[in-house]
Amino acid sequence: MDREMVRNLAQLSRLSFTDEELEKMADDMTGIIEIIDTIKEVDVTYDPFKEDHNVYLNDLRKDITADSCPTAKILQNAVNSEDAFVVPKVVE
Amino acid sequence: MDLTEIKISNLRSMLDKKEISARELTDVYLDRIKAVDDRLESFMTVTAEIAEKSAERAQKMIDNGESAALCGIPLAIKDNICTDGVKTTCSSKMLEDFVPFYNATVMDKLENEGAVMLGKTSMDEFAMGGSTQTSAFKKTKNPYDLERVPGGSSGGSAAAVSASLCAAALGSDTGGSIRQPSAFCGVTGLKPTYGRVSRYGLVAFASSLDQIGPIAKSAEDCAILLNTIAGYDPHDGTSSKKNVPDFTSMIGQSVKGMKIAVPKEFYAEGIDDEVRNAVLKAADCYRSLGAELVECSMPSLKYAVAAYYLISSAEASSNLSRFDGIKFGHRSQKGESFAELILNSRSEGFGEEVKRRIMLGNCALSSGYYDAYYGKALAVKQKICEEYDSIFAKCDVILTPTAPTVAYGVNENISDTAKMYRADFCTVTVNIASLPAISTTCGYDSEGMPIGMSIVGRKWDETTIIQAADAFEREFIRHNASL
Repeated sequence: MDREMVRNLAQLSRLSFTDEELEKMADDMTGIIEIIDTIKEVDVTYDPFKEDHNVYLNDLRKDITADSCPTAKILQNAVNSEDAFVVPKVVE
Repeated sequence: MDLTEIKISNLRSMLDKKEISARELTDVYLDRIKAVDDRLESFMTVTAEIAEKSAERAQKMIDNGESAALCGIPLAIKDNICTDGVKTTCSSKMLEDFVPFYNATVMDKLENEGAVMLGKTSMDEFAMGGSTQTSAFKKTKNPYDLERVPGGSSGGSAAAVSASLCAAALGSDTGGSIRQPSAFCGVTGLKPTYGRVSRYGLVAFASSLDQIGPIAKSAEDCAILLNTIAGYDPHDGTSSKKNVPDFTSMIGQSVKGMKIAVPKEFYAEGIDDEVRNAVLKAADCYRSLGAELVECSMPSLKYAVAAYYLISSAEASSNLSRFDGIKFGHRSQKGESFAELILNSRSEGFGEEVKRRIMLGNCALSSGYYDAYYGKALAVKQKICEEYDSIFAKCDVILTPTAPTVAYGVNENISDTAKMYRADFCTVTVNIASLPAISTTCGYDSEGMPIGMSIVGRKWDETTIIQAADAFEREFIRHNASL
């Protein structure tokens, strides 16, 4: 896989790599793409009507308000929390 | 008498008859963990205090005549299953300090029965890998040979069961992560039908493939655990409302007349001779027990690894986008802007293998590649399901090797990503087709390493694969791990 493609995927993935890491990732991805490219040779077409997601849309649970998670508990795993998630300034 | 060698069904009667106390049993396991886990590195966190308190509570339940199947039974839990108040790291720096404030549904079910949690077991980071060597912390070893891997991703759970550090364990299986480590560590592991067990509180890797399941010393013990954890959960829309049978109901029953399919592609190139021979010998054993072997074919197997890595990575790239360093998980100290904070947190928190899967997933889903990769993978998935259907029209179960090799050295293969991915071809089709499968030990190679075979069943028919695995286990003598 060429370096430009890897850079593009890294950006989509919100990941950054050093030049050295990028080289290694490109090599690894080349090996993986070789495997997944075999799928191109199969002559099959996807039929969305045959899909079985295990989810039965006419059998979903009722939309009833239930207890929510306490804010303090939700914030216990956030860093810099002061009764809210603290993030860098977004609006200039 | 070594209590750690006794199966759950026997421990149950010993506890109920007061031959041992729950506290005594828990302490025996905690002592053994203390004695050997420095070398094995199977536990991420040992919850000794919680275990002792749970044992006291279990004893009260037993004394009051309220004991259930797992009351007082010491278990280990894979570290991607959320445990209220106990760190759940997924063996990732990203979740190094993450403490859930709720239990996964399976944990509530275990607690209701009075089961005792000994601790959380190591795994491949975010369950991505087959060696437990992608763990950011404990790189678990194989109890049969500490120079070899335990398999993965539930390597900590399988090694802990194999080394008798717990009576049984929970793992999770997205593409073989319960069955392959069970094979490598010489124990029994069951991946239930997709939807059989609630995934609520299981840190998501690939939501259409993930299932929680048991790892234990026997098929019967797996059945006992599955009885407890199975069932519909309103918190998981994909869990099934189907009736949950008693999975132990066919234990000890003959396999006479059972039709066992042997698909030739699973025994072809890529399988080590010793593995192939051991599984075929097991097939002969089934024949001598009165089962009928049926030759068959699964032509799409050669595309299974490609389809699996496309689907699972696509889902992973989406599931792991929640890790932004803000709501929970590792937060970078660097980054002036919102975007930089997310970028740095993710780059510092995720390990190499996780990054590869996210990159691959985004490749599979990106514009210009979606139809050729992800769309095609879904089509192959349907083809694999059809091929399974046609086999199950004529047969009751399918017999395959669990992995193409026995456990390999800790430094082997790790750098060859493509080779590691290819090695998953024996297990991934089961997840793709949502089927149940159980792996049990069927032999040992010339160096004494365990060889696993898998029995795959029809959707929702765990009972028959448990019956088949149990019938073989009664004919087979296992060697204990050297540790």
